[in-house]
Amino acid sequence: MKAFEYVGAKSVDQAVKALTSGSAAMAGGTDLINRMKDYVTSPDRVVYLNDVKELAGISGDSGTGLTILSGTRLSDLLANDSIKKSYPALWQTASEVGTPQIRNMATIGGNLMQHPRCWYYRSGFGLIPKSSDGKHMLREGDNRYASIFMTDGDALYAHPSSLAIPLIALGAKATLIGPDGERTMDVAELYKVPTSNTESPFASRPGEILKSVSVPAAAGKNGSFEARHKQAHDWPLVMASASLTFSGDTVSDARVVVYGVAPLPWRSKAAEEAIKGKSVTLDSARAAGSAAAEGAKPLSMNGYKVAMLKTVITRTLCVTVGNRYWEV
Amino acid sequence: MRDNASSLNSSNRRDFLRGSGVAAATAVLTQTAQVGMDEASAEALAAQDVAVQSGSMKITLQVNGQSMTSEVEPRSTLLDVLRHRLDVTGPKRVCDRSSCGACTILINGQSVYSCTTLAVAAQGKEIRTLESFDTGPKSVAHAFHQNDGLMCGYCTPGFVTACQALLEKNPNPTLEEVKKGLDGNICRCGTYVGVIQAALDAAKAIKV
Repeated sequence: MKAFEYVGAKSVDQAVKALTSGSAAMAGGTDLINRMKDYVTSPDRVVYLNDVKELAGISGDSGTGLTILSGTRLSDLLANDSIKKSYPALWQTASEVGTPQIRNMATIGGNLMQHPRCWYYRSGFGLIPKSSDGKHMLREGDNRYASIFMTDGDALYAHPSSLAIPLIALGAKATLIGPDGERTMDVAELYKVPTSNTESPFASRPGEILKSVSVPAAAGKNGSFEARHKQAHDWPLVMASASLTFSGDTVSDARVVVYGVAPLPWRSKAAEEAIKGKSVTLDSARAAGSAAAEGAKPLSMNGYKVAMLKTVITRTLCVTVGNRYWEV
Repeated sequence: MRDNASSLNSSNRRDFLRGSGVAAATAVLTQTAQVGMDEASAEALAAQDVAVQSGSMKITLQVNGQSMTSEVEPRSTLLDVLRHRLDVTGPKRVCDRSSCGACTILINGQSVYSCTTLAVAAQGKEIRTLESFDTGPKSVAHAFHQNDGLMCGYCTPGFVTACQALLEKNPNPTLEEVKKGLDGNICRCGTYVGVIQAALDAAKAIKV
């Protein structure tokens, strides 16, 4: 990797001041160090955030809402009983990230701000990889893990952060801090779709770091389900999180968010509309799955994701109400 | 640096490999660090007692209860510093991309990949490698031996360390917990059956 200056920040203030142009913020390092080794990202300065005590920890509870500071490691998030009990969508997803070692190193902020796994990007061709004759490498090449929605555009990679999915389903807010102070937005608004290789896939401004994520008080039920190649050491192929509120037996409000199908965390309004006003049964969950897949335009090698999307939505809704029908 | 060709007759394979490792490390580390220094920002940071470190620097690490000092660059990984500078060769360099687990060590009691940890960031933390582990009849290493938990052996240090970390956190793991706890390591020879049995046996032995 390219040589860089190192700043071991001890406070948020120091970190923000040190993040000058050409700098990169590093927490667990599990994404950034590997990108630096491959010369995908070559910052002039690395600002190390893991020793900043005011960036780690979880406060609040499921009754009032939780604030998870961005430097909280995934293993600490998993050790939190309140999250395990009241936000199973988040807990389950965090427990499937990487490996025990990765979960001991990686932070929730780093997970949310990780760069896409697209192999053309990781080989140095950018997020919109084009060959010299103008062909889109991902559209014409090996796109088995790419998106099935928004494929009319040029950003075809799949969004990499699995923790963004339950957080958006739960309606979480993210707080960024930078030279101009703090600003808070929906977690979904952290991301944008780049239209060229010089654009960032994040809404954060230069010098800003993610400070915290706030999850509102738990209401109704939530759950996640993911489909993947390998049980560990891998990102999901397709996963979904649902947050449902009920009046009696029927779903009064629903948020369904899907991973692995678009360059953004994909909110499936179609699945939400399909399940609203119904009780969650295998049939109604299947109908929501079919609705979610409408409008998908897979690329040459990822048509399987359409079928997988239907199954994942069906199972996510069933998991959310405690029905793991495929296991009995 | 030693002359590998002439020392081959008199040295064993491990010494030879160590020698060539140092040669490779030196080749990388002697490149001059050419970093554009933002003077104004550096002064602003210095005023608040924040050090901007670059080029060659001296750090002290607490490895297996000993203070060890080495000359590193900010970009040196902890794995390379341990193996090539401090001669702590238990953790192995295999994928160098936090994908295989051969470099697993414990930092403050947590298993981590040393290939994806910067050495400068490990200052002031308690580093343990498998050199410090018990190897007696109630140890993880002994259970690996008894259960044939290895073939070529290159993944073994990582597996033993991951297993030690698992048992320190959860002294009484179920089969499922062992599988999940050793998820972060890969054995290309496929000795998983022996490894998992070794972890279960070690848990029993340590309790006795």
